[in-house]
Amino acid sequence: MRRAERAAALLAFAVGAGAAVWALWPTDVPDDLELPPLGQADVASAAHIREAERFETFLRWDYVLAEVVVLLVLALYAWRGHRLARESAAGRIGTGMLLGMLGLGILWITQIPFGLAEIWWARRYDAAEVGYLEWLLGYWLGLAGQFGFICLALAIVMGFAQVLRDRWWVAGAPAFIALYVVFAWSLPWLIPDDRPVDDPALAAAAQRYAREQGTDPIPVRIEDVSAYTDSPNAFAAGMDASRKIFIWDTLLDGRFTDDEVHVVLAHEIAHHSREHIWKSVGWYALFAVPGTFLIALATRRRGTLREAQAVPVALFVFVALNLAAQPILNVVGRRMEAEADWVALETTDDPTAARGLFEQFTVVALADPSPPRWSTLLFDTHPTMLDRVRMAEAWRERSEGRSHP
Amino acid sequence: MSDRPVRLLVTDDLERSRLTVFFRLLLAIPHFFWLGVWTFGAFFSAIAQWFVTVLRGRPVPRLHEFHIGYIRYATHVGAYLALAANPFPGFLGAPGYPIDVEIASAERQGRLGALLRLLLALPALFMLVLISGGGPSGVGPYWVVSGGIVAAVAFLGWFASLVRGCMPRGLRNLAAYGLRYTAEVYAYVLLVTPVYPSTDPRLPAHAGAPPSHPVRLDVVDDRRRSRLTTFFRFFLLVPHLVWFSFWGVLALLIAVVQWFFTLVAGHPASPLHRFLAAWVRYQTHLFAFGFLIANPFPGFTGTPGYPVDLELPPPGRQRRLVTLFRLPLALPAFVVSGALGWLLYAAGIGGWFAALALGRMPSGLRDAGAHALRYSAQVNAYALLLTERYPFSGPPVEPSDDAPG
Repeated sequence: MRRAERAAALLAFAVGAGAAVWALWPTDVPDDLELPPLGQADVASAAHIREAERFETFLRWDYVLAEVVVLLVLALYAWRGHRLARESAAGRIGTGMLLGMLGLGILWITQIPFGLAEIWWARRYDAAEVGYLEWLLGYWLGLAGQFGFICLALAIVMGFAQVLRDRWWVAGAPAFIALYVVFAWSLPWLIPDDRPVDDPALAAAAQRYAREQGTDPIPVRIEDVSAYTDSPNAFAAGMDASRKIFIWDTLLDGRFTDDEVHVVLAHEIAHHSREHIWKSVGWYALFAVPGTFLIALATRRRGTLREAQAVPVALFVFVALNLAAQPILNVVGRRMEAEADWVALETTDDPTAARGLFEQFTVVALADPSPPRWSTLLFDTHPTMLDRVRMAEAWRERSEGRSHP
Repeated sequence: MSDRPVRLLVTDDLERSRLTVFFRLLLAIPHFFWLGVWTFGAFFSAIAQWFVTVLRGRPVPRLHEFHIGYIRYATHVGAYLALAANPFPGFLGAPGYPIDVEIASAERQGRLGALLRLLLALPALFMLVLISGGGPSGVGPYWVVSGGIVAAVAFLGWFASLVRGCMPRGLRNLAAYGLRYTAEVYAYVLLVTPVYPSTDPRLPAHAGAPPSHPVRLDVVDDRRRSRLTTFFRFFLLVPHLVWFSFWGVLALLIAVVQWFFTLVAGHPASPLHRFLAAWVRYQTHLFAFGFLIANPFPGFTGTPGYPVDLELPPPGRQRRLVTLFRLPLALPAFVVSGALGWLLYAAGIGGWFAALALGRMPSGLRDAGAHALRYSAQVNAYALLLTERYPFSGPPVEPSDDAPG
């Protein structure tokens, strides 16, 4: 690519990215919101905090070690993995698929100890019900999905590379963004073991909150997970016509009050009403374009992704870039979650229930209310429980100010 | 053998990559998808080919080539899945894969035969289902094969390949036999060839001749079958089944005594060896009669001289360690014997109809059944301490002046 072309492309991307960030960044959370000076002791008892800290510390370090091993293994695979091409009688793309799948397979083997450690720790704290063999089987079956995905991804990328050579990323990035949209849209249909909500009050609340947030009614489904875990959770999935909200049955087992569950419901509806999933596509696109360009650059010495032997390098660079981008993506995630919390507060008018919900998470889900800064930066896609409680109190203060001018 | 329409080519060296063996089923995921797409196309093109062949008496060359490519590709995928070959197959069915099939070019076919092709193929498809041990399922016809013999081979071969880094030749050859028969059936059904599929187990010489084994099956049967005894074959078995059961219980008890004796003495006791040898020989005569591998009503004492007879070694020294673990060591062989039992059933059921119609047992069915009987006899001889030599599951090969592959 000539220098002038490169400069023009860079400029175009910078302008586009700037515009995208300008469009995607704002949220409903007031910029001048002042969070009250609460501490961990205001959220939970010392014993619960200690337990949550102990629980999360192990998992945190387990994850860090796992990621270090991932990088080391993939670096080694990038260096030597192309030799496994001798195991293929397929053409370039077929061999590339094989190398991609084998890379994931090797990674899978190295991650087993960390996964088992995580299950062991969670079982120690009664946060998981799943047995080790059951987990291993589920982990194995999950690998089938990963193999299928990487084959599709490599077929696209290497297919483009056959025609466009090292400019494959120009077509590859939009293709991946389109795949992301398809996956996000179809996710609700991929969720197993779900059923309609059977609580009329909850269903009515869902309708009411959707109306108040200015969006069409969104179907609410219950996902049965209590056979595997005790942890409470809920999430929004789908886009436009496929939008749904999934609530885990562990959230409805009596440990949370109805009002607290309604806060969760309003929060998840807010993800849809504020178009967070579409915004995720936008953020993904912002990273997909330079990310695919960097992968193309990194694989140039191995013949770009036109050659199967470049696949191990591409795999390593892809994972490394994902890890590097994680802190930024986490900031985006935390902003969206904070917005959903804020909109939920605006919808339910119930900061007491919101605070109760977040405090209960510390007890029930063993969520550390105030994890170390580096951990939040690297891992957390949600604000800390402490910050969420502080937002609830800040909202209370603001609403009292509104009602008592 | 040279007049077979589908010739098997075996250039596999038995070496297996432990890494790709471990993930074999998952690595084949893209091939499942592609095979499904190709099967879909083959189905509709086969209908078109049928019309043309019935009207013109000759298939369309382009579709003929398409179907040959499909059969070849499916054979490659089947071989990969069954661990009969090592490298990841290409997606276009190009010749040159270590387990490959060579199919003759398009030729004139009788219009009547073409018109009734599917009907005429029913016995062969039925045989295929019996050999496979299951019904049609999965993404293509080759998945049908995976239910019985080939699946047993793949299952055992997986463990063997992980431990040894190579596939046992007997298992590889057995899988190759199953794959060739499947290719012949589909070549017949897809109007690629008018030659009826043959269950004859003989493989090309370059697949590697079976090693010499002290337990040998001698077949001097002339394939003539009495329609009368064929019709009542099952009922004629009744007295033998009663006698076989009593003798079997006694043989089991004697085998336990023989085991202890052999452990202590380092060789089997001659009288007990003779008793057990007679029982194994009798069982072979009985099954040969019952499944129409032989014609005359057998004696009750297992005396040599039956048209399908067994040569057994005299008692000899046997390693105590191997004797100690004889039953666990025999387990894989029992699995294969069970799978080959379907071949025997297939031969018997198909042979019953053929013998009633023709007064003769087709050579393919007879030889396939004989192979199953031979292996069963070797397994029983091994388990009952008649020989220390492990059973060899590979089918016989055609005679050749060339050195085996």
